[in-house]
Amino acid sequence: MQPRRRIKLLFLLPATAWVLAWTVFPFFYGLYLSFFHIDFGSEDRFIGLGNYYRFFSDDNALNAVEVTFLFVIGSVTIQVIMGLLLALMANRPSSSRGFVRTLLILPLFATPVAVGFLFFTIFYEEGGLINGILGIKIPWLSSPTYALSAVIIADTWQWTSFCFLILLAGLQSIPDEVYEAASLETMNRRKIFWHITLPYLQPTLVLAILLRITEAFKVFPIPYTLTRGGPGNSTLVMPMYAHRAGMRYFDFGYSSAISFMTFILVMFFIIFLFRSIRQAY
Amino acid sequence: MKGPFIGFQLARKLEGYGFQICLLGSAFIAFLPFYWAITISIRNPIETFTVSGLSVPFIQFQPTLASWIEELSIGEAQRALLNSSVIALGTALGLMLLGTPAAYALARFRFRRPNNQNLTIWFLSQRVLPPIVTVVPVFMMMRQLHLLDTRLALVIVNITFNLPLVVTIMRQGFLDIPIELEEAALVDGANHGHVFWHISMRLAIPCLMASMLISTAYTWNEFLFALTISSRESITVPVHMAGAAGTRGIQFWFVGVRVLIAMAPPVILALLAQRYIVRGLTVGALKG
Repeated sequence: MQPRRRIKLLFLLPATAWVLAWTVFPFFYGLYLSFFHIDFGSEDRFIGLGNYYRFFSDDNALNAVEVTFLFVIGSVTIQVIMGLLLALMANRPSSSRGFVRTLLILPLFATPVAVGFLFFTIFYEEGGLINGILGIKIPWLSSPTYALSAVIIADTWQWTSFCFLILLAGLQSIPDEVYEAASLETMNRRKIFWHITLPYLQPTLVLAILLRITEAFKVFPIPYTLTRGGPGNSTLVMPMYAHRAGMRYFDFGYSSAISFMTFILVMFFIIFLFRSIRQAY
Repeated sequence: MKGPFIGFQLARKLEGYGFQICLLGSAFIAFLPFYWAITISIRNPIETFTVSGLSVPFIQFQPTLASWIEELSIGEAQRALLNSSVIALGTALGLMLLGTPAAYALARFRFRRPNNQNLTIWFLSQRVLPPIVTVVPVFMMMRQLHLLDTRLALVIVNITFNLPLVVTIMRQGFLDIPIELEEAALVDGANHGHVFWHISMRLAIPCLMASMLISTAYTWNEFLFALTISSRESITVPVHMAGAAGTRGIQFWFVGVRVLIAMAPPVILALLAQRYIVRGLTVGALKG
């Protein structure tokens, strides 16, 4: 089915042009801006890597890197493991599977800013849901350590279902014959899991981890309303710090540099992960 | 030989019940915050801190709709709801016009340099980019174009974010349609535009539904750019909701109402179309 060249381009060109105009161009424009000192009222001044030097000597920025790493590693690990466990449990016919899946879809579509705001009341020390049900008094939002856990818990509530859904789809795509063959070989169930289920599931698992990592680095709305980056700057993740530099202090050059550092870290993370996965096999 | 076999069956059955309980427990946890939001939204402000634990309406407190009426009569709330709806619809329309032809081209035509696979990966790769990277540049561009604080600017931004998703889901949708139908129509003398619009699009409606619903929900939920670009005229529901986060967070009844207004449309969409959505999410993830 090969139409003429012109028709092919007519189908593809609008979307391509759109991406070039609104993703590729802003990307390079941002990179360009990150080499400038931008101040309203005065001429933009080229400072080379100045904003990046500033990043590495800025305690707040380095703190943001640390907080972001802790958040990404913590939330992605918990979500993938919980999603996997739930998917393994749901991977057998049962009357309640549809019902469970319906309820698990709901958090995925809940507005993230609203999730942050709602969890603010859930974690509230006096009269909040968690302390109220468990009958404890944990200072979720006023202690730096607990605040980051609160952000991770809210994020986990929202995203575990995503891991669950794709891992369940991955499990269901493993052909039954493989399991039948395995039971003929009289493998026990733990062996079946390690030698059959996990290897078959590996591509899906890697994909779930990668998708969650890239999404986790975009974290912004939940801490924005749940903790506002605080207490202190214990939950000030990189996107929030960049947004603050740009939109509150109008330091566009430095804001762009922080954003690009975020992007570089995502790429590092992903490449490193790919490397170690390839080495493991 | 019979004894251990029965024991084994019993163990499996017990294990099955254990799994069921775990799954139902996780479903309960997934639902709990929604339940909590509903109960705090219908609580009388005075009772915010006197009722504790699960706070069951009618038993532990007398529900009231006062907070709902108060919030919905605020001009900014009404404007935000209208803006978010218009932006979501505009984005869906734009995505359909831009995304589906591109997906069709990637599924059906052969490109050489760059080839189809590279083109698809190129579209998808934008999902890796943290959106914060383009916040400042897009803000500057919108200022140049005099589009700051307009709905159009937010439609543009949201089309940009959801385009990769729509292209992936629709491409897979077109690939799943048997090609013979389209070839027969071409032999009969129809042109490619006609085949695309009258045959392929009709057959791909489930996928179109999936991609439009997911992208509409994401558009409704988008916060970072809405916060940056819109301030008054084009304020969206998430921005309106977050506006009071710093000062009125302690007013639980108020939080409950605003949070539910923000969450209801995407969550209801997800409920109504969950089969499409599960398919869309897994196609987007597994086959992309």
